[in-house]
Amino acid sequence: MAFHKQTQQQRRPDPRMKKCPFCEHGTAYIDYKDYPVLKPYIDYFGNIRKRYYTGVCLKHQKMLKSAVERARFMAMLAYRK
Amino acid sequence: MPQLVPTSEDTRIYEWCVLYPYPLTQKEEQQLIKEVEGHFEEVGAKLVAKDAWGRRGLAYAVGGFKEGNFTVYYYEMDPAKVKEVDNALRITKGVLRHITVKPPKHYQVVKFSEAYEAWLKDRKTVEEQRASAREEKVQEQIARKAKMKAKATAERKKTVKPAERPLEEEAITEQIDKLISDDTLDI
Repeated sequence: MAFHKQTQQQRRPDPRMKKCPFCEHGTAYIDYKDYPVLKPYIDYFGNIRKRYYTGVCLKHQKMLKSAVERARFMAMLAYRK
Repeated sequence: MPQLVPTSEDTRIYEWCVLYPYPLTQKEEQQLIKEVEGHFEEVGAKLVAKDAWGRRGLAYAVGGFKEGNFTVYYYEMDPAKVKEVDNALRITKGVLRHITVKPPKHYQVVKFSEAYEAWLKDRKTVEEQRASAREEKVQEQIARKAKMKAKATAERKKTVKPAERPLEEEAITEQIDKLISDDTLDI
């Protein structure tokens, strides 16, 4: 058991343990006009970051996706860098 | 901030975001805005709130323009008339992009023109903080190096001291000689 614990400590933290930042704020709607909120979920190339890396829950990831797509259409965000 | 509640059951509140090109002469800009707002007035829409963002850089060139002028309107109108306005906006020359969104329940109008500027300022202060933290780190390193140097010099002095001792021994022998050679000494 002790050995098992040690190996777990040496590993990186479980990405599934991340909490959804939108759930913590109690967000009901992600606005496509809110650039500062969307920016951290966009990588260098303009793609939406995976849920696995950001820890966003599925419900909010879907909201985020629609918000980012609207922002891209309105030229607030780039489709591709 | 005004909350979006339609006055009657037949109407709904819609959010219209319109992208105008930026480098326009004042006359052209006024005409364009009048034209766009005229489309809404034709249908009998009521303006609830308006948020003009002003000049903003675009993420990609649209119609040869690299900068644009966003304006967000909140109109209360008949849902059946939305398509009319949408078609009219699509034909209007000078409107680069436009989007219609039905805001969710309990949506509060946020002035993103101000929020964006506040964020820009905030980001600057964050960068300044980072710069100051970096400077502090460098200064700490310099202080540590100076301490190390002081320690090293002190140790060097200690190592030098034993060389001085033979001199002390000579002084002691001299004193002893003096004592011995003293005439008053009675042994």
